[in-house]
Parts: sequence; structure tokens; C-alpha cells
Amino acid sequence: MRNFIIFRKKENKKNTSLKKFSKSDMFWGYSFIAPSILSFLIFNFIAIIASFLISFTDWRLIASPNFVGLANYQKLFTDPVFPKAMINTAIYTFFSVPLGVFMALLLAVVLNQKIRGLPFFRVLYYTPAISSSVAVAMVWMWIYSTDYGILNYILGLFGISPVDWLNNTKTVLLAVSTVSIWKDLGFKIIILLAALQDVPKDMIEAAEIDGAGWWKRLTHITMPLISPAIFFVSVTGFISAIQSMDLVYNMRFEQDGGPARATTTMAFYIYQVAFSYLRMGYGTTLAIIMFLVILIITYIQWHVRKRFIYLESD
Amino acid sequence: MSKISISLNKRSTKGIKKFFSYLFISIGALIMIFPFIWMVATSLKPDAEAFTRPPTLFTSTIEWENYTDLWNPEVRDLNIIRMGWNSFYLAFLVASGQVITSSLAGYAFAKLRFPGRNKIFFLYFASIMIPATAVFVPNFIILRSLNLVGGHMGLILPCLTSAYATFLMRQFFLSFPKELEDASKLDGCNPLKFYWYILIPNAKPIIATQFLLTFQWHWNDFQWPLIMLRKEELQTLPVGLSYLSQQYYTDWGHLMAASVMTLIPIVILFLITQRFFIQSIKLTGVKG
Repeated sequence: MRNFIIFRKKENKKNTSLKKFSKSDMFWGYSFIAPSILSFLIFNFIAIIASFLISFTDWRLIASPNFVGLANYQKLFTDPVFPKAMINTAIYTFFSVPLGVFMALLLAVVLNQKIRGLPFFRVLYYTPAISSSVAVAMVWMWIYSTDYGILNYILGLFGISPVDWLNNTKTVLLAVSTVSIWKDLGFKIIILLAALQDVPKDMIEAAEIDGAGWWKRLTHITMPLISPAIFFVSVTGFISAIQSMDLVYNMRFEQDGGPARATTTMAFYIYQVAFSYLRMGYGTTLAIIMFLVILIITYIQWHVRKRFIYLESD
Repeated sequence: MSKISISLNKRSTKGIKKFFSYLFISIGALIMIFPFIWMVATSLKPDAEAFTRPPTLFTSTIEWENYTDLWNPEVRDLNIIRMGWNSFYLAFLVASGQVITSSLAGYAFAKLRFPGRNKIFFLYFASIMIPATAVFVPNFIILRSLNLVGGHMGLILPCLTSAYATFLMRQFFLSFPKELEDASKLDGCNPLKFYWYILIPNAKPIIATQFLLTFQWHWNDFQWPLIMLRKEELQTLPVGLSYLSQQYYTDWGHLMAASVMTLIPIVILFLITQRFFIQSIKLTGVKG
């Protein structure tokens, strides 16, 4: 009943003020949001609509477009590269994201002890994340190099014969994916560490007094409390991994999407179809598919969130 | 007696635990930083010494040739300095633009009252779900129809606003004391004056944070300049580096020198402002 009254009061207040928008607020309000909204309308809203329209054409940029109906969508089923790109993207994502989150969690838990020089370690771990992906690709290509790379040299010390990491169809995708784990680790660590530092100390101490060992404290108190942060780094990790292209593009001198297309990800293939082959119709079709995949995954993740997240941060 | 031995035991296990913790994070930190050390070391080696077995980290002589070659007009094929300047001023313009548009919109969405405000905000914020890669192709086509492909104008135009930055600004301004606003209204301050004289001076930390993040992101951006720019003298540093790798092809000394050049400005910026950086990353995480 009380709630109801409060609700009614709020409603009333809102109603009266609705009639009384000041002209000044309206003028400045709309003016201030105008640049953002205009940009949103052109580069998001119209862009998405244009995508759909162009995906029904055979536009090659040089000649004028012809309406081809669903031909581009039918082509998805006959194009041998499309399923390959989807599978590559899936392998890349499901290898790098879970492993990356796990490693970041491990390091964050260790860093959350009373570690001296924490800011120093934080800077070291975060440096790859602020670095240019192209520069990073260059140095890792050098590390992975078959004959002179440091990785094969180190493996050689243990009697392992050199592997041609970036030209072997079996290793190249995971090799590139590993670099992305390395690059994104710092971002994940900082977010997880911030969440860990917010866990109330008295809760942990109370559990300790009750006789809970560190493993129990970790799994029963700390993990549930930081689950929103784990969720956040997983979601952002998935969304960026699905769109990954910089590393797969630059970690081969040929820039061809890998030996036998072993590193052709969806984003790379979209780029290639649209801007190398100049096939805008099929390119937008692929982009729409990727958009839908990301939407579906985000949707699923939000449902998972409802079920497994212990506490909401807000 | 037994009590003492227990506490001693506890202390020593704690010491061992500490030792392994430090060992673990130090090995991790070494893996994170080693590629950069390797990059710098290779860039300072004479060509022949890059290909020695076993690989040596540092050579007897430091060779600056790999660097001087990059701006030696007789050797260079690509003007890396020019590209560095392009990257710098484009990232600067984009970051400035985003800070201005997002603070204005964030203020309007947080404090001004106008019909449809929350609905418009919700719709606008929902656009962060649209992956950048999905709109590259249509945006290229839109900008092409406006005759803006190939120039810097077309490159920065879609990047001047950000729904995410607007969201962060709005969150910040929501907590701004209402008294200040009312007082300034009584003094006859219009929203623009309020924004400029009161809001902005009090929002310096979030503006600096937002600026840094955006600058860093666009300094490193690869895909969009790759799509939008064709002429080499207009190109940005990451794409230039990518071109370079095609020309030099396993000439690791030069490639590593160019990579170092790409990294140095942003790493220095990061080291100076790392508090802001770390703070801003935390900020993004909390809102997740």
C-alpha cells in the first residue's frame, strides 16, 4: 500500500513536470545530443539498413548494383571459405577466451595478496594491452620464426625439433590465438583485481574463523562475489575475439589469411571479400551473419548471467 | 612448546607461499615483457647478428642504423615519420571530438529535461551492441557516396562520437550536486554556460581518462585506416608498419626498429598517466 502511494506520488510529479519542460532545457538538450544522435543515425542506423539492402545486390563498387534476391545468402551454403572462417573464428574464440580468463583469474588472485610493488607488476602486465597489435604481431612473428626464432631455440634446449609455427596449418591458428591471450591478459587482470579488492575483508575473516580453508573461501565467497567481473571480462573477450582480425592479418607476410586459409577468421574474410575482391553485396551478407552471431551470443550470455551471477554490482 | 612450533610452522608455510607467489607473478611478468625486450634488442643489432644461433639478447655493438634508415630518404621506402604524425593528429582529433560530443550529450541526458530523453538515451546506448566490424562495409559505402573515402575527413567523421563514452559521462554527471545547478540557474546561467564554466572544470578527471583511452585506441587502430586510406602519405603508423613488413620481409632489424617507433609514444604516455589508465579500466569493469 505504501509502495503504491509512493508510486502514485512519483507519477503525479512526473505528469505535472511533463507539461512544464522549460524551453531553454529543451533547446539546449536537443542541441547537445544532436551531434551524437546524428552520427548514430548515419553510421549505425542507416548503416545497418543499408547493409540489408546491399546484401540483396551484386554490387562490385565499379558497376552499378543489380538486385539478386537471396543469391548472396544462398552462396553462404556453397562457399567453401565461409564455414572454414566460422570454424576458425570459433576455435580462436573458444581457445583464447576461456584460457585467458582462467589465467587472468589465477594471476589476479595471486596479485591480490599483500604483494610489494603491485603498481609495478600492474604496469608490466598491462603494457601489451596498450601496444599496437601490428607491432605486437611483428615481434611475435620473429619469436615464432622457424630457424631463428627464440621459441624454437628454447624448445630445442629440451630436445624438441623446430616447428614451423606460422606455416603449419595445424599450429598457426592456436599460435596466433596465444598471442591474443598474451595481449589481452592485462586488461582482464586489472578488472578482476579491482573486483577482488572490493571483496569485504570481514566476510573472508568471518569464514576463516568458522574454519573454512583458503580453497573453500575462494570458491564459496570470493568467486561468487566477483562473478559480475568474471562475466564482464568473458563477454567483452568473446565479442572482441569474434571480431579479431589485426593479428591474423599481420602475422603472415603474405597477409593471405593463413596457409590453406587456416587463419581466415570471419572479420578477415569480410575484409577480404569487401575490400580486396570489392564484392560489397556478399561482404555485407557476411557482416550481417557476424552481427547476428554476436547478438545471439550476447543474448545467451545475458541469460546465463541471470542464472549464475551471485550478486549484481549495482 | 607445541604452540610455538605451530606458529613457527605457520610462519614458514606463509613464507613459502609468499615465495611461490612472487615467483609465479615474476615469471608471468617476464613473459609479458620479454617480447618487448627482444624487440628492442633486435632493433639494435646489425643485420647479420639477428640470425645467430644460439640467439643472443644483446650484441657487443649497438647499431642505430635500423633506426636512422627509417628516416633516411635514400633508404626508406615509407615515410614513417609522416605516418607517425598522421597517427598522432588523427588520434588527437578523434579523442578531442569524442570528449566534446560525449560530455555534451552526457550532460543533456543526465541533467536537462526534455521530452523523450530517456527513450533516446536507451536507444542510443543500445548501439554499443553493434560490432564495429559489422558496420565497416556499409560505412565505407556511405562515406564513399559522400566522396570522403581516401581522406582524413572520412576517417575521423564516424569516430567523433561514442555511445559508450556518452554513457560514462552521463553516469558521472548524474552524481553532480543539484544545488550547484539550481544556484547557477538562479544566477541566470543557461545550460551552455553551466556546462562550460561549472561542469567541465569539475569533470577534468573523467575527461582526461576518456581522452587518453580514446587516443590510445585510435593511435593503435588498424582496420579502419586500412579500409579508408589508400595513399601512403596519408596513412597511419600501424598500417604503415604493416606495409613495411611486406617490403622488408624478414628484415627483422628494420621491422623491429619500426615497431619500437610505433610503441614508444604510447608506452611513454601510458607510463606517465598510468593511474588514469588503470582507473578508467576499473571504471569500465564496474559498469559491466
